[in-house]
Amino acid sequence: MDSNTPAEPGELHYKIGVLTRQLHDSLNELGFADRLRGSMDELPDAQSRLSYIARLTGEAAEKVLNRVEQAKAQQAYIAEETRRMVAALIKDPVAAVAKGDIMNFLTDMEAVTQKADEHLTEIMMAQDFHDLTGQVIGRVVNLAANLEDQLVQMLIQTAPPGGVPAAIAAAPVAVAAAAVATESLAGPVVDPSKAQDVVTSQSQVDDLLASLGF
Amino acid sequence: MANALRFLIVDDFSTMRRIVRNLLKESGFPEADEAEDGVVALHKLRNSKFDFVVTDINMPNMNGFQLLAEIKSDEKLKHLPVLMVTAEARKEDIVAAAQNGAAGYIVKPFTKATLEEKVGLILKKLGL
Repeated sequence: MDSNTPAEPGELHYKIGVLTRQLHDSLNELGFADRLRGSMDELPDAQSRLSYIARLTGEAAEKVLNRVEQAKAQQAYIAEETRRMVAALIKDPVAAVAKGDIMNFLTDMEAVTQKADEHLTEIMMAQDFHDLTGQVIGRVVNLAANLEDQLVQMLIQTAPPGGVPAAIAAAPVAVAAAAVATESLAGPVVDPSKAQDVVTSQSQVDDLLASLGF
Repeated sequence: MANALRFLIVDDFSTMRRIVRNLLKESGFPEADEAEDGVVALHKLRNSKFDFVVTDINMPNMNGFQLLAEIKSDEKLKHLPVLMVTAEARKEDIVAAAQNGAAGYIVKPFTKATLEEKVGLILKKLGL
């Protein structure tokens, strides 16, 4: 059959099947199958890690917006009360002091500014998502780099002589350098329901340490 | 009231270093310096005076466990309290930290109250 002639669906399916079998056999012969399978097994984990990132960034944005809305409402209250107090002082300064309006205003302001400070602290704390998501992103990037490295190695070893461009042949070194695994540490728990022997709260940490006598 | 104790905050994420630094300042500990990994931290600890170390675990070059081991095996540094603040939530890591001399362990994400409580408890134990 002319290679330019579109194949029948059945024939195409058969050819894909043959190619798949050949690829499978080649991967096994070259010893790549297990390595690639290892990376493929990590892909669902990568998916849950990306979901974790989406959740954490979403929660951080929500938290910041909530706090900003509350702080702005308090800011408006401070401005309004200040205007009211200025008007009272202009109208009758002695009465404003004597009736306790000034003292009430100052006490009120101290409480409101304390609340505003709490909002600012919470907005600052919400930025911790950068650290947690950064660690998780690093692991997903490492997975992608490992996968790329293995595919490039496979390409090099299966290519005919002179068939691998220099840029591709050099790639594994760069990929390997970029994918230096930092450690065997687990990083943030992205899905507590699937993690074993992990704590999910500070109180569990405290209980564990207390059980050890610390 | 401000306390003169000097803290070293070790974390590879600058955002987290700033958060911890600000929280310590709000809690009355304005004296602090920062390091982005264990190697830099160890260098600073050996060349300047510090009273307290707050460190992450998962860092490049030298992680928090390695830093803890270096501190506890150094005659001049081993008295320093080391508080681990980390996303590592495996029980084996928490146990290992305690057995290797960590003064406390906080899992991220944490609250200002938790940091204040743990720092306060450690200082109280040490009589500082």
